[in-house]
Amino acid sequence: MEPVPLPQAGGAPAARPLSDWLPRLAAARPRGAYAHVPFCFHKCHYCDFYSFVDTKDRQGAFVDRLLEEARAASVLAREPLETLFVGGGTPTLLADHELERMLRGLRAMLPWADGAEWTVEANPETVTEGKAAVLASCGVTRVSMGAQSFQPALLRQLERHHDPASVARAVGLLRAAGIARLNIDLIFAIPTSTMAEWQDDLAQALALAPDHLSCYGLVYEPGTPLRARLEAGGVERLDEELEAGMYEHTAATLAAAGFHHYEISNWAKPGEECRHNLLYWEDGEWIALGPSASGHAAGLRWKNVAVLQEWLEHGPWSPVRSVEALDEDGRIGEAFLMGLRLLDGMREERVRALLDHGARATQRRAAIDAALARGDMEWSSGRLRFSERGVLTSDSVLRELL
Amino acid sequence: MKIRNFSIIAHIDHGKSTLADRLLQATKAVSQREARAQMLDSMDLERERGITIKASAVTVRHTWKGEEYELNFIDTPGHVDFTYEVSRALKACEGAVLVVDSTQGVQAQTVANAYLAVAGDLTIIPVVNKIDLPAAAPERVAMEIEQVFGFAAEDCILVSAKTGQGINELLDAICEKLPEPKAPTTTKLRGLVFDAKYDEYRGVVMYVRIFDGQLRQGDKIRMMGTGRTFSVTELLRYTPFPQKVKELSLSQVGSVCAGMKTLGDVRVGDTITLDIDPAETALEGYEEPKQMVFCDFYPSSADEQGKKSDFEALREAIEKLHLNDASFTFETQHSEALGFGFRCGFLGLLHMDIVQERLEREGGVSIVQTAPTVSYIIDLNDGTELEIHNPADLPDLSRVKAIREPIVRIEIICPNENIGDLMKLCEARRGIFQSQEMISETRQILKYEIPLAEIIYDFYDKLKSVTRGYGTMDYQIICYREDRLVKVQILVNAEPVEALSLICHRDNAEQRSRAILTKLKDQIDRHQFEIPLQAAIGGKIIARESIKAMRKNVTAKCYGGDVSRKRKLLEKQKEGKKRMKQIGSVTIPQEAFMAILDQGD
Ligand SMILES: Nc1nc2c(ncn2[C@@H]2O[C@H](COP(=O)(O)OP(=O)(O)O)[C@@H](O)[C@H]2O)c(=O)[nH]1
Ligand code: SF4
Ligand SMILES: [Mg+2]
Repeated sequence: MEPVPLPQAGGAPAARPLSDWLPRLAAARPRGAYAHVPFCFHKCHYCDFYSFVDTKDRQGAFVDRLLEEARAASVLAREPLETLFVGGGTPTLLADHELERMLRGLRAMLPWADGAEWTVEANPETVTEGKAAVLASCGVTRVSMGAQSFQPALLRQLERHHDPASVARAVGLLRAAGIARLNIDLIFAIPTSTMAEWQDDLAQALALAPDHLSCYGLVYEPGTPLRARLEAGGVERLDEELEAGMYEHTAATLAAAGFHHYEISNWAKPGEECRHNLLYWEDGEWIALGPSASGHAAGLRWKNVAVLQEWLEHGPWSPVRSVEALDEDGRIGEAFLMGLRLLDGMREERVRALLDHGARATQRRAAIDAALARGDMEWSSGRLRFSERGVLTSDSVLRELL
Repeated sequence: MKIRNFSIIAHIDHGKSTLADRLLQATKAVSQREARAQMLDSMDLERERGITIKASAVTVRHTWKGEEYELNFIDTPGHVDFTYEVSRALKACEGAVLVVDSTQGVQAQTVANAYLAVAGDLTIIPVVNKIDLPAAAPERVAMEIEQVFGFAAEDCILVSAKTGQGINELLDAICEKLPEPKAPTTTKLRGLVFDAKYDEYRGVVMYVRIFDGQLRQGDKIRMMGTGRTFSVTELLRYTPFPQKVKELSLSQVGSVCAGMKTLGDVRVGDTITLDIDPAETALEGYEEPKQMVFCDFYPSSADEQGKKSDFEALREAIEKLHLNDASFTFETQHSEALGFGFRCGFLGLLHMDIVQERLEREGGVSIVQTAPTVSYIIDLNDGTELEIHNPADLPDLSRVKAIREPIVRIEIICPNENIGDLMKLCEARRGIFQSQEMISETRQILKYEIPLAEIIYDFYDKLKSVTRGYGTMDYQIICYREDRLVKVQILVNAEPVEALSLICHRDNAEQRSRAILTKLKDQIDRHQFEIPLQAAIGGKIIARESIKAMRKNVTAKCYGGDVSRKRKLLEKQKEGKKRMKQIGSVTIPQEAFMAILDQGD
């Protein structure tokens, strides 16, 4: 790894505008954009995304600033962009008119390909008829609904405040407004949860007829209240065996329901894979908008400052504190790290090409050979991929490929 | 000027270093401003652990009855591993100040150190310290001193090293009661090297007590033991800051630099004489300390490519540290499992910990350490004997007639009510009862003979917990003795791991093995496959366990394209694996190599 040196101020590196890297970014070929809305109604206890409880007074300034950033970034978008993902935070917490101003502004500032995929994350409680209408009229093609669980007790474990019934209501409103594609986010292995509860969660989600499901095993992120509770002994991690069982049950249930397991935690009806996420996994390029948003282009990975005020005050390009220009080994490592998350794996020619280079090629080959020997990986129709059982322990292999 | 040479000896924490500071202040050797806490301890590490590792000699003046005295005193270490250093320091003195904490009373190292002083024919001034504390019981402690050592209780000097109370009286007593240095027996130079340190700028610095004649800067000296000659480049005395002097005269103490490059050039205990006019016989030296505890150090990197250079870095760090501490030994070692490393010998467990810490801290290397073992003497059928420092070196059993192990005499001082539990503990560790004596109404001294191997790891902790901190111990090696010892091999994933093998008593083998396997099961992470763990004696399995295959470790989320974060997370996990060792396809963390210490009791 060769992090681009940044001037040191005090201890933390000083932030510099991303525009300082423009000479290098001249080679950028982004195919998508990610926009981050940092407002939430309440901070969930497992969450470590950059978000905070909205005081409503900075929504206008936020949208102004985001559009300013989009206008600047448009110089990077030489080809029309194919995907937009608006995440957070809770984008749907923006007031209707601000949400509309943001979406219309993004449409206008950046070049979009015909049939571009526009996804917006939504929190079930925030979806109203008005909100659904704004989303649909602004060209949003896909909504990702953060349901997480349908069990009130488990939502309480996560300190997440929504009524499970609101999910169905929100889905109804979105469908009625004409938004066809729907993802539901679920979390399994929540402390105290049982297999029966998880089966029920999956059944309730399927009953809403989504075309896409993201099922994540709960992660105790450092710095979150949930992690603190875990460390203080206030909650107990779910048994590994049970968690693995839940994952396997998910794979079986969703396969039976006609979903294609295309990424470690993602399932889609054929053709309904999230194109924006595929961009991440296939090592594509995208631009970043909003505080804490990460971007990748021209061999650089950067992350906008994760401080709303700092981001608001410095424009048009976001200040960045972390920019990495990966060396060859770094790029090869990431290509594996992302590419092998896809259950179809990576094309043989690509794997061979990657394994031909880099100082750590020998170790990588050895790790792959060992995984193949154990049956944790396999070659299948010209692609290298994790086997069904290997997926569950893929981190152990992936870290050896870095 | 009259001279008094003395050491302060005490059980650890009874206030030796504090008293030394107070003496320096009382004699006006150090101004208030310069009086850093614990003037005589120099290394950070010592300060942290509160142990004085290396002796230093300091010279101050005191006026008694109108006459000025030069007082040379030598700080000594206060831990069982370093008794040999105490005895070295005592050789350079005529007297010793025996400090006993008035809230703690006589403790194991009080006894051990006092015996050393008596054996060295030193005059002892008993001092009862910390009398400023509310819990102080100076009369009772003085009675204990009378009971154990036979000094009249009223002869004890009561002091507070904290407030300075009684310090002048102590200085007077040092002048009055300690004998004058013995008259020289020859006019030729004889200086005893009682310590040596390595200094980055000066090279080797020898601490010397002049017994006969005198030593001047520029003199060409001969080391009587090795026969090697050197030229004196610098003579220093410490007041307590180093001061250059032109000469060290009769009975004085100071340090000598003579262009020696490594501590290997000097033997502590050797006699310095003049090359042109040498003395006929050397002063009585002392026995080299013997390394009793052994373990391997390996570079911790699991990176195949890094192996060679990490090993070299470790070698450099060890060689450098050895310049400073010649009392540990090292030789290269190769292990199937752990690659290239070093087999090192130490004076005791604490010494081992200190060396490892200094290698990591000062040498910047990170180390995988195997469990310490003692040395064994193997009597072979052909009548020869072999000393081994590693269970892996045990010859084929068909050639072995007997295995002998080091035995220590251990002295434990404890409250009456703990005697029963401590006897149980000693007996469980194959101890042989020697004696039990009262030292006061409430406390006793318990003596056992016990195999060193049984006490090198957790014995001290057990003693402390049984006695709620009140028990203390000291030990000396007395002999090697035969017993029914066997070698237990540990197999991980069906591969024998020599670094985990151990020698133990046949009767304890099953229990020890089960404890070890349970520990290993805890410490080795689950892998993608099931890992059988087995313990075996000569191919016969005596215990087994297994580590179930890992089920799930995929961190499910990769959100918002923050790829760097995901990568860093995995890199950090990988970094964590670095301190681990790869044995076949199993990754074993460093702590696991210590698992064999678990006694299973
Ligand atoms: N109250 C009090 N504390 C003392 C006295 N002498 C030493 N101490 C404390 O006892 C502890 C151990 O003292 P130290 O000189 O390091 O003991 P050493 O291990 O024998 O060198 C330190 O915390 C000292 O501050 C004393 O006379 N009175
Ligand atoms: S709604 Fe989402 S972004 Fe907001 S706090 Fe909860 S988990 Fe975090
Ligand atoms: Mg001390």
